[in-house]
Amino acid sequence: MLNEIKQQIERIKAKGAAYVDTRWYPYEETNYLIMWNGNLKDTTFARESGIGIRVLYKGAWGFSASSDLSNLAALYDMAFDNAKAAAERVTFPIRLAEKDAIQAEFISPCKIDPFDVPLTDKVNFLKSMDAKMDKEGVTQRMCDLTFVRKNIIFLDSEGSQIDKKITEVFSLMQVKGVDDQGASHERKFKLGQRGMPTRGWESIDEQVYSKNAERIVDEMKQVVAAPICPVDDRSVILKPSIMHLQTHETIGHALELDRILGYELAFAGGSFVTLQDFGKLKYGSDKLTARADATLVNSPGSFGFDDDGVPAQNNLLIDHGLLVGAITGRQMVEEANAMAKKQIFQGSGGCNRASSFYRVPIERMTNINIDPGTDGSFDDIVKNTEKGIILDGDKSWSIGSNREQFHFATEIGWLVEDGKIKNVVKNPTYKGETVKFWNSLVAVGDKSTWEVRYVNNCGKGQPSQIMQLGHGIPVCRFDNVRIGE
Amino acid sequence: MKERILQTLTDLRKYALKRGHTVSIFFHEEDSHLIRFANSAISLNTNEHLIALEITAQVGRKRATYMMVTDLSQIVEMKKAIDTAAEMAKFAQALNYEPTIPEFKETFIDEDGYDPALLEMTNSEKLKYFNTVSARMEDKDIRLSGIFSNGKNTIAQINTRSEHVQYFTTSDCQVTAVLSHSGLKWELTAEQSAQKKSELDPLVLHKDLAFLLKHYRHDTPRQIPLGKYDIVFAAAATAEIVRYMNWIGFDGGMMKRGFCFLSEEYVGKKVLSDKFTLVDDPTRLETFPFKRDLAGIERKPFPIFKNGIFQGFTWTQDDADEFGAKPTGHSVTHKSLVIEGGSHKVKNIEDLVSQPRDNDLLYFPYLHYFNLVNPSKGVITGSSRFGALLLKKDGSVEVPYNVRITQSMQDIYGDKIAWLSKNIIPYNVSESYFGRNPIALIVPAFIRVNDLEISHSNSSY
Repeated sequence: MLNEIKQQIERIKAKGAAYVDTRWYPYEETNYLIMWNGNLKDTTFARESGIGIRVLYKGAWGFSASSDLSNLAALYDMAFDNAKAAAERVTFPIRLAEKDAIQAEFISPCKIDPFDVPLTDKVNFLKSMDAKMDKEGVTQRMCDLTFVRKNIIFLDSEGSQIDKKITEVFSLMQVKGVDDQGASHERKFKLGQRGMPTRGWESIDEQVYSKNAERIVDEMKQVVAAPICPVDDRSVILKPSIMHLQTHETIGHALELDRILGYELAFAGGSFVTLQDFGKLKYGSDKLTARADATLVNSPGSFGFDDDGVPAQNNLLIDHGLLVGAITGRQMVEEANAMAKKQIFQGSGGCNRASSFYRVPIERMTNINIDPGTDGSFDDIVKNTEKGIILDGDKSWSIGSNREQFHFATEIGWLVEDGKIKNVVKNPTYKGETVKFWNSLVAVGDKSTWEVRYVNNCGKGQPSQIMQLGHGIPVCRFDNVRIGE
Repeated sequence: MKERILQTLTDLRKYALKRGHTVSIFFHEEDSHLIRFANSAISLNTNEHLIALEITAQVGRKRATYMMVTDLSQIVEMKKAIDTAAEMAKFAQALNYEPTIPEFKETFIDEDGYDPALLEMTNSEKLKYFNTVSARMEDKDIRLSGIFSNGKNTIAQINTRSEHVQYFTTSDCQVTAVLSHSGLKWELTAEQSAQKKSELDPLVLHKDLAFLLKHYRHDTPRQIPLGKYDIVFAAAATAEIVRYMNWIGFDGGMMKRGFCFLSEEYVGKKVLSDKFTLVDDPTRLETFPFKRDLAGIERKPFPIFKNGIFQGFTWTQDDADEFGAKPTGHSVTHKSLVIEGGSHKVKNIEDLVSQPRDNDLLYFPYLHYFNLVNPSKGVITGSSRFGALLLKKDGSVEVPYNVRITQSMQDIYGDKIAWLSKNIIPYNVSESYFGRNPIALIVPAFIRVNDLEISHSNSSY
């Protein structure tokens, strides 16, 4: 198969293509189980394989993909023909940033292959967790497990050949309760990295889950009995399970270079950031340092090499508040530098990824992290807060089309008065304007507050693509934020 | 191809029976084409051809599913998948209810929604369509983005309970054309949904864009004060709200799981404005309908709200099995939702702007990044996008920066509805995350709702 692919790449190159690449997925397997109120509603094993072909011709892309590999030549011809058609409407001829021809292999860290674990063990785990959540006051309980195993072989006309084997594990537990007004309230626990160097079946630690099952049941009951969050201007202290979303939506998406250049305007939207902002925009307070780190051990945002064949990197995005970098791939950095008439970006940041063989690679977040700070532990931050609210648990998120403003709802809030945690409130929300909000960052927790959270449902692109990634984030405090609307 | 699909499913059924397995087999084939435009160029031109097979095996109350992306020549692998699913089911956990395996009483073939001419459109034809949409509007600042997505979607199913097959095939097309200002970062959009080629008319989109562009190019935008406004929602915004209402409003399973703002006690009661009538109408081809659901139930128009009175929940077969309800023919990948038009005559945005008005109107074309703040109270949030306008009472027009609304669905479609346009149009909300799923709702081109609060107002784009 590899030889056949190489021959086709050469053939299309000889027809006049400037560049050709291929992602061949010999397999991508997914195992998904969900238990809802004690019912194993879904036990699915999925397997797919196929090929995705990109051809660059006269500055334009063509793409074709199929699960049927019986006529490879026709698939390559289709991608070439699509590129030729696209070349009829070109404004900035696409060119790709330089990269080395790489022969390499990447295997994501995994101790126990979840696909080797018997189904009964997985079902027993779900039953055990379901029983832990089956308590008085819980009206709905849900627990799921998702395992992914895939092999991606990348080849391009520049001589690269990269073999990646990736294993992913995602999991969620959730409980719901109903208050005396008939309104539902939820609390959930999502699997995160928890400092583990590997991600396989070993991630599913029954002790950790049991502890968190008890915690979310207890906190959900507190929310059900709590008063409604007041409308107020307060300091907000964001715990990791909402802080990761804040980072995702208002740093991650805002700094995708294709979005900045207008390539998502037909669908997901743009970014308030302009090319002139790099090196100049005070994105946040001095306490904010953010990076795109695809080298982080054990995260879905770490993948060895992106789908342009560029090695994973750790790049600064925001340095002590100053905007310095973006989430980039080979195509967009060239266009951005040309448009800005200066070299803002020194080559690809290695962030171009596709969600499957039948989707085209686009700029995606890797691990968009915020460096831990010097403002102490979570307790220290609370102690130094006069009038605030601690928020946790992502419930809803909505952002402006240019990522310039946002409105988030969380599962739980704890009011803070004079450095002490007071009562729980229900239906907490907060909103703000992106740059103003990040410039109101007044406290960043130390390493003890820093956690890597996984995101397994980041949507972008047309045709639509769901991507997996991570966020390493500390507990942070922002001042003068409107809550409760 | 159809015969080959049907024969393959029949062969697989025979194999399952021979092996003593109880299975349901779901076949999905998509032939997808998408041209994406950005910065006035074609940024992507794709073809994707995918065949997926989903085999659900049942052993008593235990069930498990094996899914594979495959091609029709892989019959050996497909048979292996049947055995694997059956083996998995043995190790699953029994449900606390009896899941129904539907008995298809007859073979049902529905190709009414398939127009080969739509699928066979060439790259040149699509490019010509887009060039017509954007004619004389692009320059160094004003850039064209958008998509031309067309394809064929085929679903077929069989199970071991009966020899009959259900087969549905449809063609669909979704067009989005966006004009944006590269420096100022505003965006205007015009969209079209088609089930057949003859429904495509680029001049309609051109006209809407040209009208909006006139205002956005020349008028000075401003931040509008927070407060209450009479809002006119365009079809895109309405479709987005109703799409979510389908999820957190009248879905029986979601209601039982505590996600809905409606409950059983609302059935037969007036919940929304008497101007609001919503029907699931599978006779409307523009919605890419299922005339039978995947459990084999014949689908007929199903009233959901009639003059604001809630008629009842929709039930899938599996949710009905679990919660002891009667299935309503809603085991489908999408419904065919239609909001009945009202009495207000207004053809398009230009017509809306030219009409006399008794108050300032905020024109809200599109709800961006819509989300559910509090599902059990029906509270939603979203920002305006793509060409909002403030239509002043004195007849003048202003361009506002984007604003956000955070409101409950009952507030939006309650007694504050002033009028619905007589003109109703299909609005395409197709999905492609997990395979092509063409969806369109038919909604009034415009709905006016008085006295709605704006919770945020941008100071720039």
